[in-house]
Amino acid sequence: MTRPARVARHRQAAVVGIHALPFSKNIGMTERHAGALAILGALADAGLTVKDVDAMYRFVWENTTEMEMARILGVENLRAFGEVDYGGGAGAPTIAHAALAIENSLADVVVTWRARNRSSGGRPWVSQLHAVGQDQFERPYHIVRPVDGMALHTRFWIEKYGWKPEDLGRVAVKQREHARRNPAALMQKPMTMDDYLSSRLIADPLRLFDCCLETDAAIGMVLTTAERAADLNITPAYVTGFGMGSGPQMTAMTFYYGAELGITPSRYVAPELWKNTALTPKDIDVVQFYDAFTPQIPLGFEEYGFCAEGEGPAFLQSSASPLYNTSGGGLSEAYVHGFNLLVEGVRQVRGTSTTQAPNVRHSLVTSGNVVPTGAIVFSKEPW
Amino acid sequence: MTPAVDPQNGFPIPVVDQDTKPFWDGCERGELFIQRCRNCAKWLWQPRPICSTCQTPGPIWTKVTGDGVIASWTVLRPPTLPAFASMVPFIVLLVTLDEGVRLLGYLVDDAGRVCQTDGSAEGVTTGRRVRLRFHDQAGTPLPCWTLV
Repeated sequence: MTRPARVARHRQAAVVGIHALPFSKNIGMTERHAGALAILGALADAGLTVKDVDAMYRFVWENTTEMEMARILGVENLRAFGEVDYGGGAGAPTIAHAALAIENSLADVVVTWRARNRSSGGRPWVSQLHAVGQDQFERPYHIVRPVDGMALHTRFWIEKYGWKPEDLGRVAVKQREHARRNPAALMQKPMTMDDYLSSRLIADPLRLFDCCLETDAAIGMVLTTAERAADLNITPAYVTGFGMGSGPQMTAMTFYYGAELGITPSRYVAPELWKNTALTPKDIDVVQFYDAFTPQIPLGFEEYGFCAEGEGPAFLQSSASPLYNTSGGGLSEAYVHGFNLLVEGVRQVRGTSTTQAPNVRHSLVTSGNVVPTGAIVFSKEPW
Repeated sequence: MTPAVDPQNGFPIPVVDQDTKPFWDGCERGELFIQRCRNCAKWLWQPRPICSTCQTPGPIWTKVTGDGVIASWTVLRPPTLPAFASMVPFIVLLVTLDEGVRLLGYLVDDAGRVCQTDGSAEGVTTGRRVRLRFHDQAGTPLPCWTLV
């Protein structure tokens, strides 16, 4: 009796299709409608069709389940599927799950997407008046928005690291410059440091221009095997590796309750990422740090080891800093729980960004660093 | 049974369960209770059914003074929900109790009224000592803190 051959393992995954519907304040259709169009666009970008799709992964916060989306699109069978929680922390982990399915031969063509009518659909906390679990100790005090939770961390970081308002303003101004080169970005108006400093306080010490946009958006991404990618008429962005992490005593957005204040989950992701990719920060040519709020950029450089703790604001102005958030990011392009950062990371590998870094070999994208999170590296060359 | 909240003008209310009821019952009596492990004596926050250090079940709800220091703070300005509109600007403190755990609460006066302030007149700053007061928010007694 012959035993069946063991399936091949550890194939490499590559992103082969990306597509974003035009960002807007009111997209004029349901999230499932926009999401389906984004997926079809990403498949067309890859030169694939719905018939090729055999797996889907999504954010838990994506209102359309992968089953509903597969039904709408007419996918014959999902050989693998799943969801990742925690809002803006879910981006890179969702792509990581898609890549894991490919690497382990669970699936050959995986679709992921994020469609969110976060502008026209209203603000989620308006209807969250019953505070369950961790929220019962936070929401009654108006710690209801992401910015409320972030403000208390930011005050701590400002005092610990001696940040000046300009240190955060520089991030907002730089990303607006990037957005103005990107016709798809929602914010095209120039921003000066004076504009930043005179913007109104939302949750002291955070100002309006420290905060991301509120956007209707739909973005799709398609991954397949490196082998199959070679037959497609696109430049593959190979998934070199990824990492995830929560850190101890995690409460999303408000992890104030552990032993040490202000240490983010990204500090736990970074060693996993560098071990998994066998790369170091010096190998990274361009980065997209999750940017719901400006402090996440200087911290990102520190957390991922581009510079030492406390040196982020100086480092990002230095010639040693790689270009960051080249589409304008969540602050000035669109806010889509970081999915726009993921496709921008792929564009940097393809060489099609409007703020293109030269000779990109490795492109880093991170997800939200104040929630359970992850990071991923897309590369020009396969393993 | 969790009471209904007026969707137009209501404050967010805690949904109390078996694990958090002793905390809120204490608040009703004007007392602050924090869990402490019956085995390793570690103070635990937020409420949980077992100790996260030694995994001993049934941490003991222990009355504390509520004395502590400001670990961080923010000033809320635009009211996100209509219920908060008459209160802004006000301060939410992150307080480290002398037992080492951190809780959120409004900055209130000695009588437990939420201070309408940006904190500049009061000299709110990290490290300042605070003491416990309770603020009744539409029937929910919330632990809050006043400057010492």
